[in-house]
Amino acid sequence: MTGQASSGESEPLIRLTDVTRSYVMGGVTNTVLAGVTLDVAAGEFAAIMGPSGSGKSTLLHILGLLDRPSSGSYRLRGRETGELSDDALSHLRNQAIGFVFQSFYLIPYATALDNVLLPGLYSDAPRAALVRRAGELLDKVGLTSQARHKPSQLSGGQQQRVALARSLINDPDLILADEPTGQLDSATSREIMELLAAINRDAGKTVIVVTHDPDTAAYARRQILVTDGRVARS
Amino acid sequence: MWRVLSRYPRLLWRLQGVAGQALLAHKARSFFVVAAVAMGIAALTVIVASVDGARRKALEIVDFFGPDAVLVLGGDIENRPVGQRLNTLSWSDARAIARSLPGAYAVLPMRSVRSVTLRYGNKNHEVPTVVGATENYAATWNWPLSEGRDLSADDIAHGAKVALIGDAPAKALFGDASPIGRTVMVKNLPVQIVGRLSYRGFTGGGSDVSVDDRLIMPISTLTQRFNLDRHYFRGLRVRFHDPDLITVHMENLRSLLRHEHKLGPTVPDDFTIMSASEILKFLTAFTGGLVAFLGVTAGVAILVGGFVLANLMFLGVSERRVEIGLRKAVGATSGAILIQFLSEAVYLTLAGAILGVGLGVGLGESLSRLGMLELRLSPKIFVLSLAAALAIALAFGLRPARKAAGLDPIEALRGGE
Repeated sequence: MTGQASSGESEPLIRLTDVTRSYVMGGVTNTVLAGVTLDVAAGEFAAIMGPSGSGKSTLLHILGLLDRPSSGSYRLRGRETGELSDDALSHLRNQAIGFVFQSFYLIPYATALDNVLLPGLYSDAPRAALVRRAGELLDKVGLTSQARHKPSQLSGGQQQRVALARSLINDPDLILADEPTGQLDSATSREIMELLAAINRDAGKTVIVVTHDPDTAAYARRQILVTDGRVARS
Repeated sequence: MWRVLSRYPRLLWRLQGVAGQALLAHKARSFFVVAAVAMGIAALTVIVASVDGARRKALEIVDFFGPDAVLVLGGDIENRPVGQRLNTLSWSDARAIARSLPGAYAVLPMRSVRSVTLRYGNKNHEVPTVVGATENYAATWNWPLSEGRDLSADDIAHGAKVALIGDAPAKALFGDASPIGRTVMVKNLPVQIVGRLSYRGFTGGGSDVSVDDRLIMPISTLTQRFNLDRHYFRGLRVRFHDPDLITVHMENLRSLLRHEHKLGPTVPDDFTIMSASEILKFLTAFTGGLVAFLGVTAGVAILVGGFVLANLMFLGVSERRVEIGLRKAVGATSGAILIQFLSEAVYLTLAGAILGVGLGVGLGESLSRLGMLELRLSPKIFVLSLAAALAIALAFGLRPARKAAGLDPIEALRGGE
């Protein structure tokens, strides 16, 4: 990720500075993130860990541009995201970030191939190139023969592999995985984490995994511990 | 900036595919919306077709009746005072009009016999009316002959056993063959067909009897052979030189007939004068009720279709929260979601419109076959239906589509767990 912006050489892919997030509910202010400062360099494989309610999910939503900080600064690729419009954030999510979720979130009525293509729909890329790339990605996750299958015809592990292929279709810099092994048995979990590790190692993608499972976190080279809305150790 | 703009046509196109795929995935729900919208559009189709049909029929009646003619019928048919005679128009009235009514140039007496059985070979056909007419019947009624000749003055003078045949009995008795020169038994009287009236295809003022279902014979023959009252007529047709003065002419005619019938100032008319515009009024009142009923039905049906669309779309939005959240997470803007859901609505209502026009045409055909409505189908109906469908989609689909577009992706995805 060199030569991104003028400050690209010196600035990491992700820079959070004193980020807070609080919700007001019935007049009571509930602070979920109480000042997070965190850098993640391009090419890192990091795990965000912490007990439930620690704020790790909220942190992931902010990193994924699905949520905005209440205060503080989030710079992605050297660019301040707080100034961007909703549509610009959508575009940035589409181009720069790939998502993997605990419950896979495949569209039930679309085939595996169409699910992989989904983020491509909202991009500029021509369809022929997208379909070619989707085929390659399905091959990479070992599902070429299941390309025409609906999610209901796939096992949990296969569905998560489709989701992994989907996260890569627009060739983003950053993969965000929210409990990617939360609904899988340990053997399948290992397959998925091996794939994520390969994506990090071979394709050079920055991978951030949110998990409370130490076995899953062990695949990452860096562990970030979040407790009570703060980074306790990184 | 131009990059953002230039991706819209491609995005718009891709969203149509997304919308189509989603509709096929929810077949039952899609079907209900299509069916509900189709009901409304079908009602709309029938009403537009019947309004057009009534208008065309009105024009045909004016054409048939002639803008320069009035019809005088015995008795007051609007008020029908108890005990009033219907046979009030006599030869002397006809002669008085011809002689002394300014502007009138033709007075044609009419007599008719109801429900007469015609026989040819082994085929029977009952015509509702046999009309007694004077010479040049077809010419005076602006009713072209499809073949043969008109009644002549000679036929009238000699009480000739000849007739003009309407389209309906001609078809019933002769099929596709020419009736000209054939001899038909009218009750027990052999009558030679000399002319065939062209097809008119409408029913007369308020009745369900087709004007094509008739036989025309010289009035003299009809009177002699069927023992009709020789002094009175069922009606008189009076034509004037100047159609613009028709209301003045009608007033003069009324005064003349009241004088002839020696009616005192307080006695009501014992005759009815009708012009083409009066017959139209009669007809409009008749069809107007049906059209108003259909109009209300169409409006309600379209509204129901709209509400079904809105409700099932709201249901769909809440059932598809995860899909919407996911799409937004992977980069769909709110606008893209809005367009996707609005497109789904548009496709459903357009399908409803096409099905509805088909239903409406079918319904209209059976209504007009039952003689309840005169229908005229035109491309206008199709265009109007598509416009109505689009309006339903936008009016009733916008709120659910905006709800979908406004969903917070985090909330929406949480709903799936």
